[in-house]
Amino acid sequence: MDTVYADNNATTQVAPEVFEAMVPFLKQDYFNPSSMYEAARGAGDAVARAREEIAGHIGAAHPKEVLFTSCATESNNTAIAGVAKANPGRRHIVTTKVEHPAVLEVAKDFKRNGYEVTFLPVDGDGNLDVRTFVRAIRPETLLVTIMHANNETGVIFPIEQLSRLTKETDPSIVFHTDATQTVSKLPIDLAGEYRHVDLLSFSGHKLHAPKGIGALFIRRGTRCRPFMIGGHQEAGRRAGTENVAFIVGLAKALALAAESHDADEARIKKMRDRLEKTLGDTIPYVQVNGKGAPRLPNTSNVSCDYIEGESMLFLMSDRGICASSGSACTSGSLEPSHVLRALNIPFTAVHGSVRFSLSRYNTDADIDRIVDVFPGIVANLRKLSPYWDNKSNAPRPDAIELARQSS
Amino acid sequence: MAWQYSEKTKQLFMDAVHGKPGTHMGEIEDPDGLGEHGSIACGDALRFSFRVERDESDPKKDVITEARYLTFGCTSAIAASEALCALIEQGRHTPLDALKISNQDIVDYLDGLPEQKIHCSVMGAEALEAAVLDWAQKRGLDPREFGIEVHSEAEEEGRIVCTCFSLSAPYLKRKIHELGLKTIPEITNAIKAGGGCHTCHHAPGGLQDLLNEVWGTSGGQAAGEPSATGEGEKAEPLSPYQFSKKVESVMEEYIRPMLQRDGGDVEIVDIKDTLVYCSLKGACVDCVGATQTLKALVEKTLKEMVDERITVIRL
Repeated sequence: MDTVYADNNATTQVAPEVFEAMVPFLKQDYFNPSSMYEAARGAGDAVARAREEIAGHIGAAHPKEVLFTSCATESNNTAIAGVAKANPGRRHIVTTKVEHPAVLEVAKDFKRNGYEVTFLPVDGDGNLDVRTFVRAIRPETLLVTIMHANNETGVIFPIEQLSRLTKETDPSIVFHTDATQTVSKLPIDLAGEYRHVDLLSFSGHKLHAPKGIGALFIRRGTRCRPFMIGGHQEAGRRAGTENVAFIVGLAKALALAAESHDADEARIKKMRDRLEKTLGDTIPYVQVNGKGAPRLPNTSNVSCDYIEGESMLFLMSDRGICASSGSACTSGSLEPSHVLRALNIPFTAVHGSVRFSLSRYNTDADIDRIVDVFPGIVANLRKLSPYWDNKSNAPRPDAIELARQSS
Repeated sequence: MAWQYSEKTKQLFMDAVHGKPGTHMGEIEDPDGLGEHGSIACGDALRFSFRVERDESDPKKDVITEARYLTFGCTSAIAASEALCALIEQGRHTPLDALKISNQDIVDYLDGLPEQKIHCSVMGAEALEAAVLDWAQKRGLDPREFGIEVHSEAEEEGRIVCTCFSLSAPYLKRKIHELGLKTIPEITNAIKAGGGCHTCHHAPGGLQDLLNEVWGTSGGQAAGEPSATGEGEKAEPLSPYQFSKKVESVMEEYIRPMLQRDGGDVEIVDIKDTLVYCSLKGACVDCVGATQTLKALVEKTLKEMVDERITVIRL
């Protein structure tokens, strides 16, 4: 049985072309790019070339504005901690309730250390209210850090607008966005509409490069101190020997994505829309989370009432389908998804959520398999649910009220 | 991380989901015993019912012949429900005997459960107990006669310690004792308490205090310090200096961390006799419940831990 991989917001498969591009730097060109001898020139040049290419893909004016890190989490930590270190006089941070833990937990840590942090709420579709955002900015605001698109729901925030409003209010406030889910998926031009963004994080493994490589765009002139301290690599802004092969892989992955972006996007969106439509038509009491908001074309977060996500994942896994859930039982803690709870959707929908996320490697046959298997899984689990009436094949009357109670 | 369930757990779950003959999914009509545990809000819930073969002369000799469940929950919650029913049916148990089936028996039947899933087996045992009490009621028996404690009333009235999962102090203490739970992670794995916002872990009267109370230890970090429970004994009256220091230390150790978790903070502006003047900071300032917070949290904690006569005054 072939695996249907529909969890591309978690990680992606490495593109074969990316792997091939990396191999020379794991074999003959293994040198430290900082070394002086002639033999290391290849490695050094490869890093420089990759930096230039990556800068080009995101519209950075200078290659030096691209910093290589180990992952998006490191990029986010560097951005927040680095800005705080460089601007000790300001102690207020604006972020949202739905950030990835790589931002959310860092913000909470700053709060524990005496910073004031505003966690902006979202509405039922996952949208931010821009007025609330503007009101949250204060004279002592240090940093705004808001994700570009949400990893769980795919909901896109208007970063162009938010960054512009920030800078128009006070140019000294630093604007950071975690674009891990959007680089290679959405057009990002840091010289154009995104010119007010000071810092932008992303990683390789969400876009068919390997795990272990990330990048942080730091606009020239942004006050930001290093996070990783040690050697002089990356012009003294991020210590640690450059991960040459993976840096080359990241550049290659971005090039591949750019080549086929429009065709891929159209095909992925079509598959996603068919998936949602078919599940909606075949499963009662199902909803798409974030449906009313602008969303990434590859992400579908559906909630099936009265059943629990982990058991759905288990049964899908048994049929070779990989997806994920915001259910408490899959979170590693006992807390269901903070993102879905921020949407204020009912408990049952949070626990019964499943996220499908597609990539260019998915096919129509994958979608066929999911729509073939998933409704049966839902029906079987509902037969077991104390909130479901099997005779009428509908929720028990007393459970309907329960299901409306929001988290 | 991938699933770490035993083969037995996976098999029981798959059999149950596919309604294999011999599995126990369902609900008995007009059951002799019906018990529920959990809720949709908590992420898992179990409705357990059984039928007995009645013994006309002595209800205590009723024998359970059929057990069924409906479960909202994860793989292990469903497998644990299946295990519970299988264990009960295989023994021709009387309801009273069935009570001896513990969550550990369920875990054993499943060839083990991952630590963080132990609460699934506890849910089974809880629902069973509720069902037996229901049976006893229907059969006109007083469960206390044969040494079964009836907890429900006390539990409802008890002080809620874990607000995320609505678990009260009496319930938690009983479970800590029954299940031999020695640490906060053990409590969380077994009955979920403290697994949500974590606020109750080290709060006054929180999980650590309950552990100390049940096991009679003073807990590592607070060694030598008088605990909240020591108020029964008459202590020497504190000097104004000692009193202020104590108010301040309770504020630092307990109250401010709790408020800071919600983006707030509190500052002591002055202390005059037993009047403590406070100024709320951070998110507390704009909070509509600020005065409530001062009374319910700050004043109550200071009363409990320092002096009953304390009044908190908001600036």
